[in-house]
Amino acid sequence: MVLLSSALAACGGDSGTELIWYTNPDTGGQAKLAEKCSTDDYTITTQVLPQDASQQRIQLVRRLAAGDTEIDLMSLDPPFTAEFAEAGYLADIPDGLEQKLTDQSFEGAVDAATWEDQMVVAPFWSNTQVLWYRKSFVEKTDLDVSQPVTWEQVIRAADENGGKVAVQANKYEGYAVWINALFEGAGGRLVEDVEQGADATVTVDSPAGEDAARVVEQLASSKAAPADLSVSNEGTAVATFGSDAGAFMVNWTFVWTAYGDDPVSKDIGFTRYPRTVEGEESAPPYGGIGLGVNAATESRSEAMSAVECITSPENQAFYANDSGNMPASAAGYDDPKLRETYGQDLLDLFQQSVEAAAPRTVSPYWSDISLSLQSTWHPPSSVDGQTPGQSADFMSQALQAERLL
Amino acid sequence: MSTAVSPDQRSTTRKTGRQARSPSTERSRAENRLGLKLVAPAVVLMLLVTAYPMLQALYLSLFRYRLTNPDDRQFIGFDNYVTALSDQLFWQDLWNTVVIMVVTVAVELVIGFAFAMVMHRVIFARGVIRTSILIPYGIITVVSAFAWQFAFSLNNGFVNGWFSWLPWIAADTNWFGDHWHAMFAIMVSEIWKTTPFMALLLLAGLSQVSEDMIEAAKVDGATWWQRLWKVILPNMRAAIMVAVLFRALDAFRIFDNIFVMTKGAQETESSSFLTYRQVIEQFQLGMGSALSVLLFLSVLVLAYGIVKLFRVDLSQARGEG
Amino acid sequence: MQGRTGVGIWAGFAAIMVWCLLPVVWIIMLSFKSVDETSAGSPQFFPQDFTLANYGDILSDSDFTNALINSFGISLIATVLSVIFATFTAYAIARLEFRGKKLVLSIALAIAMFPVVALVGPLFDMWRTFGLFNTWPGLIIPYMSFTLPLAIWTLSAFFREIPWEMEQAAQVDGATSWQAFRKVIVPLAAPGVFTAAILTFFFAWNEFVLAISLTTTVDGGATSTGARTVPAQMSFFVGPDPFNPPYSQLATASVVVTIPIIVIVLLFQRKIVAGLTSGAVKG
Repeated sequence: MVLLSSALAACGGDSGTELIWYTNPDTGGQAKLAEKCSTDDYTITTQVLPQDASQQRIQLVRRLAAGDTEIDLMSLDPPFTAEFAEAGYLADIPDGLEQKLTDQSFEGAVDAATWEDQMVVAPFWSNTQVLWYRKSFVEKTDLDVSQPVTWEQVIRAADENGGKVAVQANKYEGYAVWINALFEGAGGRLVEDVEQGADATVTVDSPAGEDAARVVEQLASSKAAPADLSVSNEGTAVATFGSDAGAFMVNWTFVWTAYGDDPVSKDIGFTRYPRTVEGEESAPPYGGIGLGVNAATESRSEAMSAVECITSPENQAFYANDSGNMPASAAGYDDPKLRETYGQDLLDLFQQSVEAAAPRTVSPYWSDISLSLQSTWHPPSSVDGQTPGQSADFMSQALQAERLL
Repeated sequence: MSTAVSPDQRSTTRKTGRQARSPSTERSRAENRLGLKLVAPAVVLMLLVTAYPMLQALYLSLFRYRLTNPDDRQFIGFDNYVTALSDQLFWQDLWNTVVIMVVTVAVELVIGFAFAMVMHRVIFARGVIRTSILIPYGIITVVSAFAWQFAFSLNNGFVNGWFSWLPWIAADTNWFGDHWHAMFAIMVSEIWKTTPFMALLLLAGLSQVSEDMIEAAKVDGATWWQRLWKVILPNMRAAIMVAVLFRALDAFRIFDNIFVMTKGAQETESSSFLTYRQVIEQFQLGMGSALSVLLFLSVLVLAYGIVKLFRVDLSQARGEG
Repeated sequence: MQGRTGVGIWAGFAAIMVWCLLPVVWIIMLSFKSVDETSAGSPQFFPQDFTLANYGDILSDSDFTNALINSFGISLIATVLSVIFATFTAYAIARLEFRGKKLVLSIALAIAMFPVVALVGPLFDMWRTFGLFNTWPGLIIPYMSFTLPLAIWTLSAFFREIPWEMEQAAQVDGATSWQAFRKVIVPLAAPGVFTAAILTFFFAWNEFVLAISLTTTVDGGATSTGARTVPAQMSFFVGPDPFNPPYSQLATASVVVTIPIIVIVLLFQRKIVAGLTSGAVKG
């Protein structure tokens, strides 16, 4: 058996090493990059992970914990980076490459890619959310979208004029993204002292928590709530926004090209993510993908050069054009084709939003934090003034493994 | 029914059995050895995949052990059990599981019996009916879950459109948006797929009820309802109990439908799903093992309860004299 | 048997047919809708524009076809092995008198009732250590264990009815014991074995909990095989739109995996019914 497989490996020697890259689902852009970045020394092939970010984490951890050497590269969602690094699944990025990536990437992207002062994934693309609105709808209202808007104003404008506000509020990671953004927008944090791991201080029960809960409660109890609010995700939000009742939506950058030739695409306006409280800058969600190299890979140096190629600003721009997922570097944004598709205003808004974006708590325990939020804040119609307090108790116990998640 | 063992055949088997049991003859010892050799592979395999892992679960359940943080593994005695049993989620999920079990089995029993009556009485197209009824039985549960999830879907389902004349269904009823609607959808999928199994078991029982007895009751002036309750059902008791036992234990393990349809949202999680999530999604091997043990114990209690309650003699019922 | 075919029976017949076939027809209709139609929302029962494009997409999706291969391979191997082991056991139970017979039956019964989910943790941990995680044997072994009880019961019910005296009678008539076995016993036992095999295959084809817990990929790249089967692959299926479930493609996949079941049901309807009800009615 061993002989056979080594013989096979020897046969394959001509075309070099095979690097296996586990990607999150997209429209095929990562597969194209894999081909583009393959060299005479190695060929990159892709395997697609499930759609749900939590499921991606689960699939990868199960294989990595089994000491699987068949994974070389992986596309990681930022909130799980710390956990992977802490568990020792990620190879350290060599100093030279780390320096290069630090120089080219947005600060937020670098922060999200760093655990315990070491860059553990390479920022590949950076995602953020903006407030999308239907121009025809906003004309009917007295909302001034040229000025920063608050959640309260957006919900009221939709409610009074028969429109819907599309968000992500299914019981899944996307809902935690929304809640975190509401917290950060009120100047709060979900958790402090994250370096304490499970002993971190839970700060959900705070004025920011009350502000966040008020927004969720207001939307859920208003006529602006879509019928599928409690099961809504990025995709259903696009459908709601595109329907006749569509008015506002918070969603990622891909929305701009999501409607294709549909007349709706001509009716889309955009502005900065809504503020949680009047007078305080909003904190748009941070998303995207970092590239990690499996610590157990047998071809680490090849994998690192592949990472360098994939994350080059030109390839980030190539990928952005292909997938609608925006670059993690200012240089990547500097692309004529991207400008043509999105327009300078929107690209500026994206960049500005990424720079102001608040990452989800960088902690190996993020999945516990996220699940605690999902357990206590779902369904949105159950959220009220009590929610932050209950949520804080729940989360503290969950972090101590004294609670079932 | 081709497999119905006639009593005389059974008694011959018994007789041979008794003859062979005459003590310590060379022949019976050889037979004993051969018997053990023949059953050994199956028994070893069954135990290898159940008993040994169960013992390992028992051991792991005494630890705090998270796969992504193996260095933190720590012996904590029965703390996992205390945490689980004092957690509201555990009881909520157990309650959901019991609700699903009781409702689905009860509904299946009624509909399955009606189907069995029809199949028993029908004199045309018996092959067609049997083939049709085997389709839900044979279909993958995941497919059934998808079919019903899509049928109940807000944007792509026909249920809201077809049934919006009912007072509690509107054109925009979000079936997966709240607890009871979602539970209803899950139970519909479960009931749809497993009623045929129930119907076939009951049909087999029904065919054992002597027509003469029913005729006699009819001559005595018993109404249809009386015949059903006084003659037919009592004579099918064994078949009904076996069907209930197996379906109940099966329903208690419900997982596939919930995984596909709601992923446990809207508090539709079952005990199996909770256990799965702790182990496979959260890598809490310690807590997950404790829940595995608790799940195993619940099934034992349930099986014991049903057997005692209904006085089912399984060895007899399954024909293993 | 009462021969009257009243209105009630007709209504009941119609109800059964609707019950069994409506969801199947629904999923077939959904599979003929285009992806665009379902993305836009398509609540009507029949497709607006009938298309076969989904079948082309699904059958050219290598993840799906590889999952189909995994499903067939794993289910068939598990079925064959399980039925062989079960035949030994059932023969011993039906024919021989030995100590521990009751125990064997109790074990089989206990395993039939076993909550499979309780095993995913320890099995995951064991398979990780033995290198069986995400491999065919990693699923075949537990599938065999969980189908053995069903196969053992079905087979022992069948074997009890075989008039074993005929074997001796044939030998008396001058046949060798091998001839007697082959000419007399095998034809009598074959239908039972076949029925047990069908039921076992259905179980393996349907299994989901272990399939999602003990596998991660349909094929693990150049040097290893994955083991994800169709039910698991379907539950993680990602369509062309990363955010919306590909309704019509999932429906198409559903239809494709249901075809083998329908073929088996059409061919062997009598045997399956006999197997399912074997032993259930006595006592």
